[in-house]
Amino acid sequence: MRKQLPPDMLARDSRFVRTSIMDQVMDPRNQKIGERDLGSARLQPERPAAADRARNLMHGIFTGEIQALEGAGRTTFDFDDDEAPFALKLDMARQCWDESRHVEISVKLGDWMGTEIGEYSEAVFLYEAACAPDPVLRLCGVNRALEGLAIDVFNTMKEFGDSSGDPVLEFCEDWMLADEVTHVKMGSDWLRRMTKDDPERLEKALEFQRTVDKLFSLGGFRGETEDNPIQLARNFRSMAGFSTDEIDEIAELAAQAKRDAEALVAGSS
Amino acid sequence: MADPYKPRAAFAPWDRRELPGIFSVEDSARRVGNYKWLEMRLFESLGGWVATVPELDVKLVLGRHCYHHAWHAELMDKRLPELREMDTDRLCEAPNPEMEAFVEALREPEAPEHTIEKLVGVFRVLLPRKIAAYTYHLNGTSRITDSPTQRSLGFMLQDEFEDWREGEMLLQSLIETPEEVDRATRRQAELEKLILAAGGISGPGSLGPIVATEGASL
Amino acid sequence: MSVTLIPAEFTLVKFDADEVRAIIDRTIAEVSFPADVDVTIEVDEVLPHPLTASVVEIVDGAAKLWFTGGCFESPQRQTGLSPDNTRVELGAGLLRAKDRLVGGFENAPADEELDERQRTIWDAYAEGRLAALGYPVRVQRRRYTFRLYGGFNDLADAEFERLWSGASLTWDELATMADALAEADTRPERKKSIRKESLRRIAPV
Ligand SMILES: [Fe+2]
Ligand SMILES: [Fe+2]
Repeated sequence: MRKQLPPDMLARDSRFVRTSIMDQVMDPRNQKIGERDLGSARLQPERPAAADRARNLMHGIFTGEIQALEGAGRTTFDFDDDEAPFALKLDMARQCWDESRHVEISVKLGDWMGTEIGEYSEAVFLYEAACAPDPVLRLCGVNRALEGLAIDVFNTMKEFGDSSGDPVLEFCEDWMLADEVTHVKMGSDWLRRMTKDDPERLEKALEFQRTVDKLFSLGGFRGETEDNPIQLARNFRSMAGFSTDEIDEIAELAAQAKRDAEALVAGSS
Repeated sequence: MADPYKPRAAFAPWDRRELPGIFSVEDSARRVGNYKWLEMRLFESLGGWVATVPELDVKLVLGRHCYHHAWHAELMDKRLPELREMDTDRLCEAPNPEMEAFVEALREPEAPEHTIEKLVGVFRVLLPRKIAAYTYHLNGTSRITDSPTQRSLGFMLQDEFEDWREGEMLLQSLIETPEEVDRATRRQAELEKLILAAGGISGPGSLGPIVATEGASL
Repeated sequence: MSVTLIPAEFTLVKFDADEVRAIIDRTIAEVSFPADVDVTIEVDEVLPHPLTASVVEIVDGAAKLWFTGGCFESPQRQTGLSPDNTRVELGAGLLRAKDRLVGGFENAPADEELDERQRTIWDAYAEGRLAALGYPVRVQRRRYTFRLYGGFNDLADAEFERLWSGASLTWDELATMADALAEADTRPERKKSIRKESLRRIAPV
């Protein structure tokens, strides 16, 4: 088996359909939607199409968990003993188990919400963050950016479960959220440990994280306003080792991503 | 009323633990180092394979088992300094080049069509070998002096048995045709020959010294 | 009887209008829609999946059905058509239009005046009938939506099963069921069903 498995080699059964992020970016409807006032984009039961939006997001979580599992698994394998410390690999193996359970939970939640495996297409940009050749960059991309997004998504979903009174959804999201806080904390701790004497490597890793975080906020998907379906979960992020400055920075990146999307719409109209 | 000050034997009548065991501190440490090395290579392989298997249930089982073997490696890593091996990397090695070659062959399959080959290597060749060698160590070492190793081996064996059963059931459900039976047995034979050449997971003597006894040929 | 598809050709999504018209014709026949009623199907192709919503109106004896493009879109292929989803969404809309036309639903408010609990009951009633006709409906999807707006409780589950297994319904019975569900719903008021903002009202610029 080779080291460094490219995203197009992720193995899936025949139910899954792959999509590229470009399909979303190039969708001719984007501009028209941008011109309409659709009201709050937050995922709430009283918003239009809430059930199908929640089911769609649930499937996105499911495929995201598969990719997180694969990313953590690859990190145990891709680096030799001198590239990644033993304890780091142990943490990644632990994360493998956690993500494996998250996939299981997501499948059960999909059953509960009436979502079938493969019903929605899968984009692999989450796994792409797990392909960095430097383990520190990978930890930043996966454990701080991707897992940070997971915190935001699960918190959004947990609030949706709570506000709709769905006992199963809220229960599951709460448990997954606990694991994700652990994973982000793992990433924050390893980042500090492995770059203690190497400020240049630290800066490179943080820069990579910023790039990934901006990608994950694409088109205003995540942020802190009514326009963002996924809300930045400040309290859980600080629990996971993000400083207030770091959270502010992600909020600004998200706002910037939203402005970029609006400029794109304005520019093409 | 029972007299709490009445002298009692240190070992209760049912406690049959004996001294000495068959392993010295060095013997036990060498084996523990081999186990740590092997558990590491195994959890890395399972972690790496997760992304390469299309079968969803197999993917999830590999993710779970990956952690089991990482935990075993951690238990062995923690035991090494207690066996006077302060540099926990020094003994973390294959017992011989043949065992390295076995592991290299074990982790070689990558293609999504080769799930059977991946699982046969782990569940029909390696895990049975681990169960055998860990059991030999568990039974042979002193249950008094080397009790911490024994305790860890007990936990590890529990995982190995459970995981072996789960892996074997996956294989039985994946093998659907006579051709796939051939694939599985061919793969098993290839790897068995390699691990035979290595003498087992901690080299020759993995299951104890081979002693010729009188009348053995009968 | 005339059948009109608006738009006549799709420009933002890759729906083949002829294919959609063929599905409409087939569905009209399969749900035994009244033969003498004109039907207009309007698709707002700007609104993508998962923004699913539909509105049914009877205007001067003609049926006007409005759908977001997302109702017909394949969740697997962005901007592509899902014939299965199209059949189900059209079938449910046509059955609800038929309810309004053939009697028993004279007292029903306009679609956009229904609260979500009433609407979710009517949708389940329609999809249950489609299930009996062999349509590719997904019962668990509908059940989840029913619970979301009807309540996560035993009464809601029992009523759903009743609707799904072929109960027939009038508007008055539907409204009574909605009241009973409201009564049994122990969620705080803000978690109870309210009328959602209509995607149709905010849709056209
Ligand atoms: Fe996760
Ligand atoms: Fe995670």
